Amino acid sequence: MTDETMITDEMLALVDRPMRRATSFPIGANEIRRWAMAIYYPEIPPRLFWDDDYAATTKWGGIIAPQEFNPFAWATKDPPLSERATAGRPGRWGHFESVFGVEPPPYRAVLQSRVIANYSPVRMRPGDVIRSVDRISEYFEREGKMGLQLYTTISVDYFNQHDEWIKRLDTVFMRYR
Amino acid sequence: MTVDVNSLEPGHPIPTWSRKGTLDHWNRFAAVNDEFAGHHMDDEVGRHEGFGGAFIMAPFSHAYLHAMLREWLADEGRIVTVDMRLKNPLLRGRTLEAGGHVTGVRREGDEVFVDLEIWQIDDENTSLGTGIATVAFPSPQD
Repeated sequence: MTDETMITDEMLALVDRPMRRATSFPIGANEIRRWAMAIYYPEIPPRLFWDDDYAATTKWGGIIAPQEFNPFAWATKDPPLSERATAGRPGRWGHFESVFGVEPPPYRAVLQSRVIANYSPVRMRPGDVIRSVDRISEYFEREGKMGLQLYTTISVDYFNQHDEWIKRLDTVFMRYR
Repeated sequence: MTVDVNSLEPGHPIPTWSRKGTLDHWNRFAAVNDEFAGHHMDDEVGRHEGFGGAFIMAPFSHAYLHAMLREWLADEGRIVTVDMRLKNPLLRGRTLEAGGHVTGVRREGDEVFVDLEIWQIDDENTSLGTGIATVAFPSPQD
């Protein structure tokens, strides 16, 4: 055991502070179809995700998104793409702390080591506008096969336009040098 | 196929799910999730990061578990929780298999909650991950 650490007091002060807020564009039915086709490739996805006529006969009354669907991929209503042009994408690829103006610890790679998804019965549908708030909820370290490994949990809650909670994702990222 | 909720008990296996680890699969996910990190596209980048080559996206592995559960649930039930610890990434050229079995069944309100242990391995029997999941079915009429 060494006293070496990648966690600084400056980083610990970031825990539980809202890191990013995002609002999606209205979800498109074809986004749902493409998502489902990617997940089920090379098989045909369940009809609930692409067939309007079939989906209308189900208890949902229409197409719904698979629960793991990401409504924030590519572009968001807020922050807009124009902001990305000037500020880049802070927090992407493991630079979480840079969102707060804090220099991240040096690392060679970032991987996801654990993903926990909790879902409400509320589903995402075409036309829904989803908002999210994410934060760093925990830091911890372990010695592993990559040496000293820094673990950072990013927690994200998703809500729809009716303020109904849809899901929470806790993703544990591992950074190593 | 309809799940007979009354017959579920600890040890009951759920149908497995299998997909090849190819760029054909991963590029499709990259396209819908805007996830074009080099280690998912380029064996050299994967090796630089300490792995045997390019490897699958973690959210895609996680999504495969959802798909496996959905195949079992059909349109009847819903996924409540999927908690996966990733031990090794699926490398390009290998094949992923996911499965699970029931660990508990409990009735709450008008739903039956089913707890599961879940896993993913590759075709060389390397553990890719283990975890737990909970799904819920509408309570059957007695």
